[in-house]
Amino acid sequence: MKNLLAALLWLWMCLVLVGAFFYAPAAAGFIGYSSRILFFHVPLAWTAFVAFLVAAVWSGLYLVRGRPGDDRAAAAAVELGFVYCLLATLTGAMWARTMWGAFWNWDPRQFSIVLVLLFYGAYLALRGAVDDRQLRARLAAVYALLGVVVTPFFFWVVPRMKRFFSLHPDSVVNTRGTIDMESHMLQVLLASWVGFNALFFWLHDLHRRAAALHEAEEA
Amino acid sequence: MPGTSLRFTGLRRRFGRLAVLEGVSGAVAEGEALLVTGPNGSGKSTLLRCLAGLLAPDAGTVELTEEGRLLDPAGRRRSVGYVAPDLAFYEELTAGENLAFFSRLRGAPPARGQDLLARLGLPAERQAGALSSGMRQRLRWVWALLHRPRLLLLDEPFQNLDAGGEAAARALLAEHLAAGGLAVVANPSPLELGRAAPNLALG
Amino acid sequence: MPPPTSRSADWLAEAGAVFVKEWRCELRTRYALNTLALFAFTTLVVASAGLGPLGASAAVGTPVLPVLLWLILLFAAAAGLPRSFVQEEETHTATALRLAATPSALFCGKLAYGATLMVALEALVAPLFLAMMQLDVAAPGLFVATLLGGGYGLAAANTLIAAMIAQARGRSTLFAVLAFPVTLPLLLLVVELTRNAVAGEPSGGALTQLLLYDATVTVASLMLFPVVWNP
Repeated sequence: MKNLLAALLWLWMCLVLVGAFFYAPAAAGFIGYSSRILFFHVPLAWTAFVAFLVAAVWSGLYLVRGRPGDDRAAAAAVELGFVYCLLATLTGAMWARTMWGAFWNWDPRQFSIVLVLLFYGAYLALRGAVDDRQLRARLAAVYALLGVVVTPFFFWVVPRMKRFFSLHPDSVVNTRGTIDMESHMLQVLLASWVGFNALFFWLHDLHRRAAALHEAEEA
Repeated sequence: MPGTSLRFTGLRRRFGRLAVLEGVSGAVAEGEALLVTGPNGSGKSTLLRCLAGLLAPDAGTVELTEEGRLLDPAGRRRSVGYVAPDLAFYEELTAGENLAFFSRLRGAPPARGQDLLARLGLPAERQAGALSSGMRQRLRWVWALLHRPRLLLLDEPFQNLDAGGEAAARALLAEHLAAGGLAVVANPSPLELGRAAPNLALG
Repeated sequence: MPPPTSRSADWLAEAGAVFVKEWRCELRTRYALNTLALFAFTTLVVASAGLGPLGASAAVGTPVLPVLLWLILLFAAAAGLPRSFVQEEETHTATALRLAATPSALFCGKLAYGATLMVALEALVAPLFLAMMQLDVAAPGLFVATLLGGGYGLAAANTLIAAMIAQARGRSTLFAVLAFPVTLPLLLLVVELTRNAVAGEPSGGALTQLLLYDATVTVASLMLFPVVWNP
């Protein structure tokens, strides 16, 4: 059953790949084919955010129930979220080079993704700095929850900084609350979003089971 | 002290790959002292830290009941009297100031600290950083008894004490047990604790 | 959290005892005060001398100098605040504290110490900074409010993180790594508020945001501290 689902996921991602390059048209107002990267960039960024929330939920569960498996699940979500976030940053920078002429220009979106990267990095550094398994789990869970409480301030505070104006295109749902996108593109984008999320949860399951086996072997 | 008892069952604690405690059980009743012996590294201190609530065991339970009420780990931490080599005090403060600070935290009357200081022959105005190792051990005893605990956890309780110090500490322990208190005493070699004590050998 | 029983007087006495103990130990060694003041003063002299006898022009100074002021305060805080918990673990006094203190009272005592230390530092550094940089503040009330709110926020965020790194390896580097993402929103806010105060512009809702940040971090730290502190 799991193998079948994994095969389906593989097929789905292949279709997304084909759809991104051949099915969806290039968007108007973008240089060349640069708009096609959005089918990967946007779902990666959203899934990185989902991973963040998943990690926070497992961290909270660990503090309530104290099961080692909860801690492994939180750590696995952060490790995957870090990779997703890194890929979102890289794809964003590549696109920025084409559209804005520079890989990096401290757009508020770039600012916030760097903050999230730093936060994930700090979480992993904290885990690496504690030897005792119980203490590591407790401190990591506290830091993940602290991050969830504090980072919203960042997204609330940055828009008021007048020096930071954004060139970033509207989110898929724009400020007027309407979806402003050609329908073929929207189909591919949503399919990709579903695919990347499924990929995350599949990898997350694998990753935490591998961590459990690794710990059992050590003991 | 009616209804005070300590039971621990199946305690297990690892540090990385090293299994320090592997299924350790025991029980102590009123007026009883449990002697824990074993060579260095056999887990005596780890067991006492688990009993005190300073370390959470990977498996197993610790049940300290006082006046018929089962204490949670936070309650246990605040209730036990703990003497161990890893216990230290603020070196910038005098012995008396250290005790005054902890008396305020524990809600103990200041007279109790002064009384214990006198019994163990400790100079209250000496800076804790300037105390000899024997004097530090006496200060640990005073600190542990400030709040009149029902359960004393003693890790090598007589180390560094001279004959007078050991006699004073033993007298305090005997009074504690005579009043129905409980004690768990860890030592590398067997100790004569005054009355037939159950014995737990580790490692 | 304070215990549900009617022991709030005991709880206050405990927090007060911790606060008094911290300051008594500090005043005997002067370690944190000396480190913080010397660090702040050295960086201030370097920055001021670097700008030369004329200082920065108003056009450059208004946007840049507030950043400089908060960088000095941030790094001074990072040099002095973690010590309150690191010291407890390093000298093994943490064991006695764990067994004797109520976690929330302990945290509040430590936080009160950190916040007063920050305010003392600001009282020393801010006037000196304004004088040496020849910076005029158009709205002194807003300036003082920002210093108080920002100093408290730094103390609140750093106290919990200090309790965490005190139990880990590589403490000093780890502190900076963990504290930066948590304090970044605060730093952006206080820099903006200080600019507003210098230029005499209205600050909009930024002061409210600062107060909300302080309150959020305080409540979150109070709830999370017992888990950090006890097994």
